[in-house]
Amino acid sequence: MADEKFDAIVVGGGPAGLTAAYVMAKAGMQVIVVERGEYCGAKNVFGGVFFTNVLREIMPDFLKDAPIERNITKRRFSLMTPDGEIGGDFKFDRFNKDFSNNSFTVLRSKFDKWLSDKCEAAGAMIITGAVVDDFLMKDKKIAGVKARMEDGDLYGDVIVLADGVNSLLAKKLNFHKELDPKSTIIGVKEVIGLSEERIRDRFALNGNEGAAYEYFGYSAKGAIGSGFIYTNKDTISVGVGATIASMLEHKLNPNDVLEAFKNHPTVAPLVRDGEQKEYSAHLIPDGGYKKLSKLSGDNVMVVGDAAGFVNATLFHEGTNLAMETGKLAGETAIEAFKKKDYSAVSLSQYDTKVKNSFPMKDLKQFKNTGETLEHNPKMFDKYPTLFGDLVAELFTVDGEPKWNKEKRLMMKLLTSENPFALLKTMIDMRKVII
Amino acid sequence: MKQFTSMEDKLGLNKFTAFEKTHLSIKPGSDPMVVEHKLFICPAKVYELSDKGVPIVSFENCLECGTCRVAAPDEVEWAYPQGGYGVTFKFG
Ligand SMILES: Cc1cc2nc3c(=O)[nH]c(=O)nc-3n(C[C@H](O)[C@H](O)[C@H](O)COP(=O)(O)OP(=O)(O)OC[C@H]3O[C@@H](n4cnc5c(N)ncnc54)[C@H](O)[C@@H]3O)c2cc1C
Ligand code: SF4
Repeated sequence: MADEKFDAIVVGGGPAGLTAAYVMAKAGMQVIVVERGEYCGAKNVFGGVFFTNVLREIMPDFLKDAPIERNITKRRFSLMTPDGEIGGDFKFDRFNKDFSNNSFTVLRSKFDKWLSDKCEAAGAMIITGAVVDDFLMKDKKIAGVKARMEDGDLYGDVIVLADGVNSLLAKKLNFHKELDPKSTIIGVKEVIGLSEERIRDRFALNGNEGAAYEYFGYSAKGAIGSGFIYTNKDTISVGVGATIASMLEHKLNPNDVLEAFKNHPTVAPLVRDGEQKEYSAHLIPDGGYKKLSKLSGDNVMVVGDAAGFVNATLFHEGTNLAMETGKLAGETAIEAFKKKDYSAVSLSQYDTKVKNSFPMKDLKQFKNTGETLEHNPKMFDKYPTLFGDLVAELFTVDGEPKWNKEKRLMMKLLTSENPFALLKTMIDMRKVII
Repeated sequence: MKQFTSMEDKLGLNKFTAFEKTHLSIKPGSDPMVVEHKLFICPAKVYELSDKGVPIVSFENCLECGTCRVAAPDEVEWAYPQGGYGVTFKFG
């Protein structure tokens, strides 16, 4: 491959890179994707809900053969306390009719592979089992990448860095600093086998419907984090995540947190008698708007997790932001290809497109989430315990007249916590999560 | 259904193909206590101290998440394993 030159080289075969490759290949560009896994998806882990709004745009008929597990019609949010939860859910039948909420559980090892097959069919070349370690330079400009394999020097006009959260390559270019432990979440997950019938009964679902359960509050042994259960076809994905800084501070190992979550009295009955299939771990870049990477330079653009595009908040969106930024980088590359101009000025079109896109607008709206959570550690320990106690007592039938009880509990709330601090926390939380 | 809780059993669920050479190490000159102070966070418990207090790095169990790199950037030397080796997630 040594003297062959590609129009575009994409590093990383996840949703961001594969979307960029698909868009460029469709426009007739010569594209190569370099992926370090045995196949695309082999190294990739996420919670479980793939948001398909961008996929629908670039591939309107994706539902024909995409490896989808279940269609999410039900979402549940709960505030966990040490021994219980206060929760609420919604479920709509309309999501069965048109799949308009674009929320499907998938398993990444199948899904990313499927997407890479679509890229190949569109004309892109995919090489797997190859790690890119460095760039090839010519006249002080990036001219290609160095993959750790025989004949691994690959030349190309534009490089799309889609190498995910660790993004050692964008760091090499000084596009961003090392990930900050305070705004990087370590997520661990188990895939647990359960029969389709059990899943339907346990989560109150019909047919191919799926459920997404999210757990906040005291879900990570007091660390700043959250937990989840997502239903696949005949497995469930169960996991927890918390910031690295807060795991370190609480001296927690992520697997111990996951075990505690699975054994929590409200979670245990949902995972009971399941057959453990896989244990995995992966990072989430949670720095949001303030920690986004530089997006483009001469001959290079950064997309997806590598640039920090994840909207953690209440929405837990990453896959669709990855696809949207991948798509916008692909479109920018097509324009550059037509002009034969891959300079920083030409590729800065990508920055402009991103600025007006939903990923950037959403991240901007929630730009203070991380810091707000970090400054309110009581939301993960003290407050859920207090709310739990109040609700449990309110609904304990013990002959105390209701008026008395309500007054007494209100006093308890006001005296056990600084009411202004509590109120401020509540207002802050409202602003940053929804 | 038997439930696996130990790290060894849980890692046994996964598919690993170990490369001959490690992709992880503790930088020479680092305080070995970093294992107890920070690297307890590794979700695969790859880092341990031997009885003599020397760090042991079981790189073949690595889930390739990057947590150790971010938790102890000054002490951990980190690279991706050789392409096609390491962990392969069947579900993901
Ligand atoms: C626990 C957890 C739960 C999540 N839950 C959700 C959810 O429910 N919904 C949602 O939308 N998002 C979720 N996310 C986020 C989502 O997974 C990511 O935002 C998304 O996968 C980003 O896509 P990407 O293509 O940018 O990166 P990735 O999917 O990480 O892809 C990067 C690719 O690059 C490859 N690679 C990396 N370095 C190199 C190299 N040097 N050479 C060659 N190849 C390389 C990797 O093997 C990988 O295939 C979750 C993440 C985690 C960790
Ligand atoms: S990358 Fe993750 S699994 Fe591997 S050693 Fe570091 S913390 Fe442990």
